[in-house]
Amino acid sequence: MSVAAGGGESKIDKTKLTMYGLGGGILGIYLAHVLNMITGTGYFSFLAGLGAIAAIVMGADAVRRVCAYGIGTGVPSIGMMAMGMGLVAAMFGLAVAGVAGPIIGIAIAMGFGYFVGMLANKIIKMNIPVMEEVLMSLGGAGAVVIIALSVVISGQIGYQDMLNDVVFTGFIAIVFIAGALAILQPFNANLGPDETQDRTLVHAISTGGLAMFAAGIGSLITVGVGGAVLTMLIAAAIWLKAFLWYFKLVKRDSAGVVGTGLLAEGGL
Amino acid sequence: MSTFDASTLIYVIQIVIGGLLVGIGVHFVPVGGAPAAMAQATGVGTGTVQLATGSGLTGLISAGLMMSVTDNILLIVLSGAVGAMIMMDVTMIVGNWVYIYGIGVPPVAAKVDYDPITKDPQPPYISPGTVGHGVPTVSYVSGTIGGLLGGAGGSLIYYALMNINGVSGLSAFFAIGIFVVNAVIASYNIQGTIEGFHDPKFKRIPRAIQACFIATLIIGIFAVLIHGGA
Amino acid sequence: MDMVSMGLLAAMGALATIAGTSEDLESDVGSQSNPNSQVQLAAQVGHTHRIYNKAISGEPPSNALYAALAAVTASVLMSDAYGMNAFFSIAVGSLVAAVFNGILSMTSYMGRNTSQARFNQYVYLDVLRSHTTTIMAHAYITAFCVVAISYIMTAPWLPIQHPFPLPVIAFTWGIALGAIGSSTGDVHYGAEREFQQYPFGAGLNAANSGDIVTKGEAGLRSSIDNAWFCAKFGGPVTGLAFGLIVFLDNWRTTIFDPATQGWYAIATGVLIVVLLNVYNRILEVRSKKRYGPYPEYVGDIKA
Repeated sequence: MSVAAGGGESKIDKTKLTMYGLGGGILGIYLAHVLNMITGTGYFSFLAGLGAIAAIVMGADAVRRVCAYGIGTGVPSIGMMAMGMGLVAAMFGLAVAGVAGPIIGIAIAMGFGYFVGMLANKIIKMNIPVMEEVLMSLGGAGAVVIIALSVVISGQIGYQDMLNDVVFTGFIAIVFIAGALAILQPFNANLGPDETQDRTLVHAISTGGLAMFAAGIGSLITVGVGGAVLTMLIAAAIWLKAFLWYFKLVKRDSAGVVGTGLLAEGGL
Repeated sequence: MSTFDASTLIYVIQIVIGGLLVGIGVHFVPVGGAPAAMAQATGVGTGTVQLATGSGLTGLISAGLMMSVTDNILLIVLSGAVGAMIMMDVTMIVGNWVYIYGIGVPPVAAKVDYDPITKDPQPPYISPGTVGHGVPTVSYVSGTIGGLLGGAGGSLIYYALMNINGVSGLSAFFAIGIFVVNAVIASYNIQGTIEGFHDPKFKRIPRAIQACFIATLIIGIFAVLIHGGA
Repeated sequence: MDMVSMGLLAAMGALATIAGTSEDLESDVGSQSNPNSQVQLAAQVGHTHRIYNKAISGEPPSNALYAALAAVTASVLMSDAYGMNAFFSIAVGSLVAAVFNGILSMTSYMGRNTSQARFNQYVYLDVLRSHTTTIMAHAYITAFCVVAISYIMTAPWLPIQHPFPLPVIAFTWGIALGAIGSSTGDVHYGAEREFQQYPFGAGLNAANSGDIVTKGEAGLRSSIDNAWFCAKFGGPVTGLAFGLIVFLDNWRTTIFDPATQGWYAIATGVLIVVLLNVYNRILEVRSKKRYGPYPEYVGDIKA
């Protein structure tokens, strides 16, 4: 699936997006953890989900930047690779560093990403200028999404809790794939010459809402009904708002949103 | 954090060998990408990473079942390899059914004039305007070997990780993660499509071996330090 | 090996066949994966269309998502907190997966067609209304069957008891199913149905890329017409592929106990692989003899 159709220009600066993505993600994770520990309940797990959405927007923009170069293997592969790297790094950080785990995990994931980008450019000789920087962002986004969605399910940052609630139950499967799809679906769904950055990123918010909802379903048995229902309701509300905003942008950008009709004459 | 001693070193070596097997195996799997789905190129009509991951993960299921009842590394790795081989072979056969009966084209390779295994002539059977179609014998055998290596690699990684942390779900997902990283690096090397081991692109394998070795080594070192909880 | 295990194995094979068929038809009703590149190209070469241009980032990840989501919902409902019956839990889980599929399909159709605005490709809302529910229905069947297979493999009261948790096995079968569907049935859609105006018996000539059928038998071609056609060959064949794989993979470990007779299971697998290789050679020889060389060939190599 090597469609080399690029997109429009970027109006939102990528450094700002990276900062918001990483910063928002880490903030969400720690707020959820701290507030849950203080109150002893699971009601604040949804904050981690909001952090995940921030990281998903950052990751979708990174995917957008690299796929304009036509890397030949298609969008899904790079998303799965980012999640694979993010998973190993995130689990490592959580296993060795306790509460500081997320930050270490994210840093290691970004290091992996940069390193694999270097390998791709120097040894495989792909010579894509943005490869290292994009894979670094993707690794970081992948790690944040995995840790954040896992905190939504388990409520706190502890490694043993994470193992019990996320790994032994098998919910890591949905964390992995919903996060991966949330990152790479927006660009893939808006692929084409008239792709615009704001439409893609709004779509990323809506897929982020879906991923948060999926993690919320899992948290029904791990965090308790109250926290889980709160997560799911907030996720559904975010999704609805983002979806309606996306539809408005579709009407703005398209050649015509028609109720029915015959084929138009080809443009160009 | 688990202790880093001699046995951990062996597990790291096993993970690296597993990653290398995956990277090499991807070069054997005959994939034509999007053009093959339109009978425009030889090979299976899908993406490299998708098919390699699908077959490797099927092998992982067989290996996981075997590892829950036995400890023999050879038995586990081979059952993973056989599971992946069966998946790859059945997929290619059914793909050939669709090419032969559904579209009406004979399987034929375009990168060589004579099939290296059967010595059949290829060019007279290529549809005009295409670069081959279907899965001829050489690509089929190449795909079987690719399934073998990919399945063996994934199962070896799973075996090593299970011995370290003992949690099947965690090891399975780490194995999937390391598998995908190696498969993506290998597919960057062949730029998405390859006909099999007879394809000139196959000669690029040394670059992929270097890249996969380094990448798997780094990720593997981190993976072995993740323990399985109390 | 006993009657219960063999019966469960047969059930898994049957469920897998249905899952394969519905997965392939779902990717035909909403044109997904590799043949979709031609649908994408069609608007760019001047053939606007009313095909459902769905691009949910490749079939393996998307089928893994539906399977994993249905499995997670099912395991939540089956747990002690809610104690729902397995059958109903899997049904509710598949419903959630189908809803996710519907959302992703709709946004993908709108997004892809909007990004081709310069080629005058409209976003047809009636295509969305009529096709999305069909796609969701197929995804429901796929998710239900895959999670049912995974449940049979992991349920503690059934003989197999695979060590992976239910969502992990469902995820893995989802990826495998997506890879299989993308390699087999999609070719029937991509090379045959999309270009039915060209004569049977040749691959797509590179000069004809993008020239898909946009005008159907009566009125404009819709994706539901395409699924009708592919349901006659591409869908069932994909079902056979996935059914064979699930069956053969588990049959070897059912007739030979893995703990004591593991080597027999491996030997059987190797025998199956060798037989398939031989069968492929037979198929290749017969097809070349039946179809013969192309008359347009003007080189020196004798057929």
